Amino acid sequence: MIQNLRTEVKKLLKDKKVDIVLGWEKGSLPLSSSPLFIHKEEDVDRLIFDETCRNNLTTYLTKDKRKLGKTYDKIGIVVKGCDARSIVLYVVEQQIKRENVIIIGVPCNGVLEKKKILQKTENKEILESKIDGNNIHLKGRDFDLKFPLKDVLCDSCLTCRYPDAPVHNIFIGKPRKEVDIKDEFKNVIDFEKKSSEERWEYTKDEYARCIRCYACRNVCPACYCNECFVDQNDPQWIGKTPEVTDSIIFHLIRNLHVAGRCVDCGACVSACPVDLDLRIMNKKVEKEVKERFDYTAGLDIDEKPAMVSYCENEKQDFIMG
Amino acid sequence: MIKIKKSEFNKFIENLQKNYSVFAPVTDGKATAFKKIKSSDDINNKVLNTKRSPKEIFFPQSEVLFQYTEKGMEVPKREEKPFAIWGMRNCDTKSLLLLDKVFGEAHQMPKKDMYKDPYWKEKYDNCLVFNLACNEPLSTCFCNWFDGGPFDKTGSDIFVVETDDSFIFEAVSDKGKKFLTDCKTTENESDKEIKKIEKLKETAESFLAEKEDISSLFSKTKEIWDEPIWDEIAAKCVNCGACTFVCPTCHCFDVSDEGKGNKGKRIRLWDSCMFAIFTKEASGHNPRSQSTQRVRQRVMHKYNYFMDNYDEHLCTGCGRCVVVCPTNLDIREVIKKILNYKNEE
Amino acid sequence: MKNTYIPFQMKVKKIYTESPDRTLKTFDLSYINEEDKFDFLPGQFCEFSILGKGESPFGIASSPTEEDILKFTVNRTGSVTNEIHYLQEGDIVGIRGPLGNWYPVEKFKGQDVVIIGGGFAFTTLRSLLVYMLEHRKDYGKITVIYGARNSDLFIYKDEIEEWEKRDDLTLHLTIDNPVKGWNKLTGFVPTVVKEVSLDPTSWCVVCGPPIMIKYTLPVLTEIGFPDEKIYTSLERRMKCGIGKCGRCNIGSKYVCIDGPVFSYEEIKKIPEAL
Repeated sequence: MIQNLRTEVKKLLKDKKVDIVLGWEKGSLPLSSSPLFIHKEEDVDRLIFDETCRNNLTTYLTKDKRKLGKTYDKIGIVVKGCDARSIVLYVVEQQIKRENVIIIGVPCNGVLEKKKILQKTENKEILESKIDGNNIHLKGRDFDLKFPLKDVLCDSCLTCRYPDAPVHNIFIGKPRKEVDIKDEFKNVIDFEKKSSEERWEYTKDEYARCIRCYACRNVCPACYCNECFVDQNDPQWIGKTPEVTDSIIFHLIRNLHVAGRCVDCGACVSACPVDLDLRIMNKKVEKEVKERFDYTAGLDIDEKPAMVSYCENEKQDFIMG
Repeated sequence: MIKIKKSEFNKFIENLQKNYSVFAPVTDGKATAFKKIKSSDDINNKVLNTKRSPKEIFFPQSEVLFQYTEKGMEVPKREEKPFAIWGMRNCDTKSLLLLDKVFGEAHQMPKKDMYKDPYWKEKYDNCLVFNLACNEPLSTCFCNWFDGGPFDKTGSDIFVVETDDSFIFEAVSDKGKKFLTDCKTTENESDKEIKKIEKLKETAESFLAEKEDISSLFSKTKEIWDEPIWDEIAAKCVNCGACTFVCPTCHCFDVSDEGKGNKGKRIRLWDSCMFAIFTKEASGHNPRSQSTQRVRQRVMHKYNYFMDNYDEHLCTGCGRCVVVCPTNLDIREVIKKILNYKNEE
Repeated sequence: MKNTYIPFQMKVKKIYTESPDRTLKTFDLSYINEEDKFDFLPGQFCEFSILGKGESPFGIASSPTEEDILKFTVNRTGSVTNEIHYLQEGDIVGIRGPLGNWYPVEKFKGQDVVIIGGGFAFTTLRSLLVYMLEHRKDYGKITVIYGARNSDLFIYKDEIEEWEKRDDLTLHLTIDNPVKGWNKLTGFVPTVVKEVSLDPTSWCVVCGPPIMIKYTLPVLTEIGFPDEKIYTSLERRMKCGIGKCGRCNIGSKYVCIDGPVFSYEEIKKIPEAL
């Protein structure tokens, strides 16, 4: 697979079909990868794709005032299913032109969540690791663990319905096709069953730990506003301190801003330096959008997104008064 | 040097609490941080580098500068007991010395007093710092690049080594000496213990990755300021503030008013040079509008500008930023890249 | 130890609307407590705060010789400046200062001085000019070039009229584009600097919008001014004003404590200064 990927990417660069290719390379930490920006053919051999490639690279297409898109005419990008759906989002929202990106799909079996791994090792450092089929083998100074890979995959991957890029120019390897997931919203349903006090307590305790570094926002492909509302001074919408009420407002408004746009790539969860449960609210909103408007973000370039289309018989019980 | 048996540790902390507000590494939900402890049971001596750095004890993420009412302005009263920090690692004790250059000494300023930070000084000047040696440094530790080390004592009042059954204390500063002299529940160490410490030190140092020679980092950063290498370095940065917020030496802050009518407060809170709004002026003009400029600012501040002003690098090699960076923009690799960069000419 | 983060209170004594579009206002503040009075020199700045709304740095526009007041001219651009514009005479504001360094008035003694200003950044230049005029015999020839987008946007118009009448001062006023009824100079400041003949043995102080500074400094070099005799005042976003908060830095210098006044010689050594 990886050889085919490298060959294809080299060919794209050689034939000048692309100016740059975004992919992953081996990271500096155990079980990590890092974004790789390939300009030259000789860099292609650094390209990898495996369970460590958790970054959603599409975020670079809109970051820093869409610098990448302004610098290059043709951008090649290696994508998992969720990443490709972010590109669909960009095309639908006219942030990039479809013809300016060469989408290279790769077959994804899910990516590792380093936080889950650290739970397994009780926060002890991993010095050696090996992925062997469906199992993962970890070694540290005083532990030697072997367990199923799925125990440490991102939550998003465990309920991922669309592992293959729904839109692509090239697909390397064998697509997995749509996965039949029965309990995609199980965590949301369980959460909904709790009393409002319990939900409030949970939410409050989680967001009390937020340090407002905005890593979740900055890695999020759907968060590409030129100026985020938290950064606005005139008027200043929310307080800037890590006061829990302000942090909750930040996260809730972000949830609503990505309603019908979040592709559940899990980037925010992985990026959070203080391990907040950022997924539950996004998933809740995703469930609402699905139930009310039968819309799933990022699947179809020609479909109008839920939040910009209107039809008369939509459920409107959420409108108060 | 004196020693305290681990079975006596609780009592030791209890005694310490009589005269000090004691802060120590604790597990706080999913994260680890330095917090004020209620009892020694809260302490987690196993954690190497807490997720959040102990700078927040002296320089909290948000701190009230003063409150105001129609009657005037008032600085909030703080608790009277001085702080004792148990379990700091060398990278963190060194960071306090660096921060003290900015907030405490203000040594480059002519009218010094005006430039001293009363909020920092109030907490830092009377504190007692226990530096716990790192028996098992992490793979992300690179304190040795900055002449620190798992058993280095710089910046501490009392240096502590944890052995299998005891904590062995060595006074480093005058404050530390006085404390240990006043300490009664102790016994003296033996030759055996000294050998034990030597052995632990040796093992700890063997865990550290090879030291990088950074003696040319200052001149090199200056040399390449205008080179395209920064685009390469900054490419994957998404400009979140995670690295700056977990960093024990980053100290940039914002000042913000919160209030209604005649009542309110002025707060200072951590800010980050990674954020575009950090330098954005009211007119819309932004001297560091590009991500590359901001990444360069962070690297230059750490390894050039601070050196220019204070003769030290603003980094202790704790490795926290390496761990939290969502895109694995590893500062060690950045340093190596800079050191190995060859100018085109 | 003095807590430099705490402002002291001053009263708004008089407000002048400087431009017909009301975006520029000047505030004369008077001391409430005699002991708050401070010594300063032209070029220094203060943090001006409205409690609950925030704080912004402004150059002191009054001269140290105007002992009972502090003068600030404020352009309405953001949330704090908006609030400042809502102030009325008699209101109380907070002031921290004097902060930063100053124009080297000692070095100017006995020498010719050229002052070049643009738009509403004439504030500390007014301070300097009034100061020198108060000590007129200490200085040689004084030349002022002052440019604005249009004639409405000059600040201190009444004083400009007075200055024009003086024979111990050469004043060149310029606006960007010719307009009917305007019989003074037209053109951007850098161009005008080239046109009026300046003596490069003078000292020179330039203050204005960043773009004006950027294009004026090279022109001065062209005319023959040595770098160490050209001074300018830089602006950056600031919070603490005492070299801690980190946002006003340019290279290893902090605009709030190492500046805001820098010589062209210094500026050339600092990356990102212009």
